[in-house]
Amino acid sequence: MTSLASGARPRLRRDRAGGWIAGVCSGLARRLGADPALVRLAFVVATAAGGLGVALYALAWLVVPAGDAPAGERRRPSSARASVQVAVGSGLLLLSALLTFRALGLWFSDAIVWPLVLIAAGGVLIWRQSLGQPDAPEAPTRPRPVPTAPEQAAPATRDPAEAARTAAVAVSRTGVGVALVIAAGFAFLQGTGALSAAKDVLLAVFAAVVVLGVIFAPWIVRLVRSLAAERSERIRSQERAEVAAHLHDSVLQTLAMVQRRADEPREVAALARRQERELRAWLAGRPAPGQAASLGAALEAAAAEVEGRHGVPVETVAVGDAPLDPATEAVVAAAREAMTNAAKFGGGSTVDVFAEVSPERLNVFVRDRGPGFDPTQVPPDRRGVRESIVGRMRRHGGRATITSAPGSGTEVELLLERSGRDGS
Amino acid sequence: MGDRRPDIASLAAGLAIGLVGILVLLDDSGALDLSFAVFAPVACAATGAILVAAGLSRRE
Repeated sequence: MTSLASGARPRLRRDRAGGWIAGVCSGLARRLGADPALVRLAFVVATAAGGLGVALYALAWLVVPAGDAPAGERRRPSSARASVQVAVGSGLLLLSALLTFRALGLWFSDAIVWPLVLIAAGGVLIWRQSLGQPDAPEAPTRPRPVPTAPEQAAPATRDPAEAARTAAVAVSRTGVGVALVIAAGFAFLQGTGALSAAKDVLLAVFAAVVVLGVIFAPWIVRLVRSLAAERSERIRSQERAEVAAHLHDSVLQTLAMVQRRADEPREVAALARRQERELRAWLAGRPAPGQAASLGAALEAAAAEVEGRHGVPVETVAVGDAPLDPATEAVVAAAREAMTNAAKFGGGSTVDVFAEVSPERLNVFVRDRGPGFDPTQVPPDRRGVRESIVGRMRRHGGRATITSAPGSGTEVELLLERSGRDGS
Repeated sequence: MGDRRPDIASLAAGLAIGLVGILVLLDDSGALDLSFAVFAPVACAATGAILVAAGLSRRE
């Protein structure tokens, strides 16, 4: 009996490392166990005999998946490739239907239909590209991980080559879309006989664009550079604010606790160890030890932590739940700061936390029945309310509302709109 | 053994190429006039069907 495993030939894959163009011939040769030169010769002969070789090669390029990528090159995700195949295949089927209608005489006009087809194809490419890469607000997250010694030799998560490839794909996709739309315009003008008349207008427009471009180019370049610099500065400022808020919520509060419990060395040591672990995890970009996976669990954990630290009961009620992401983590951090403030300044009253999660929005209320305060009288150097709650929510696209007055307790409302944020 | 699923993309490609081959044979025998107006939509449909089948099977 022949063993299938021992005699199994490799699956048909394009051999990009050993190929000349897309690795079709080399991959086919590996599959057949033949010399790649013979396969290439067969394709050349088929090409000479009516161009069949080119068509087969192109078809195999599209259909046959790539094998191992050359060193340093990352393979394109198969899902993206599958989407491209389905899109191109659907376009060809539509083209086939149009050609069939045309052959049967069920046709409107070449001057109308083909430009419409080109405009539709170009429009789909342009819109897909523009909608696929929304100009999202630069939501700050944690700082970049500080590499440890073994990590310094490891490649970065998003290397420049990958970024350049993504940019090239975006530019080429947009470029093809624009070219298709322009071609549609030319085809329409040509089909309706208006191209010759439009030439003079196009020439005049082109000349005007060149002249205006030469005149205004320095200002345009300066404006673009200024916008880029402003964007970079805004990102840096948000990151600084995020780091400041995190340090306020963690290190500064721990130091305050250490001062208050200076006569309890074991407690102080435990606080320091916990803070060190949390800070190391944050700097390395890892989840904090014991970090919850969902909003409800994280709020419960924050409430338990505040209750344990300050000895004030914190009651938590959550309706619905959501997975943790940078935005919901910010809500938890802001709620934790509000709980801490309520525990510290609420006069020992119970702190009530109510969270409501719906597909559209996320609401968290933190209430206490303490003496209250006047939010407008908070000193500017106190960062707890201003940065850790209000600023943090604003940086992540949410809103914090503080309702308080002397003698009537305090309510902090945190609101985060979720529609369109996570695709849910 | 016996648990190998058919490769949908290869199946679609085989059927499409077989169909094109039959059309070419009919044209060669004179039973069909395979002009460009006829062959172009057939070629587009065959290629499109192969690509859609390959893409859908890869998504699964």
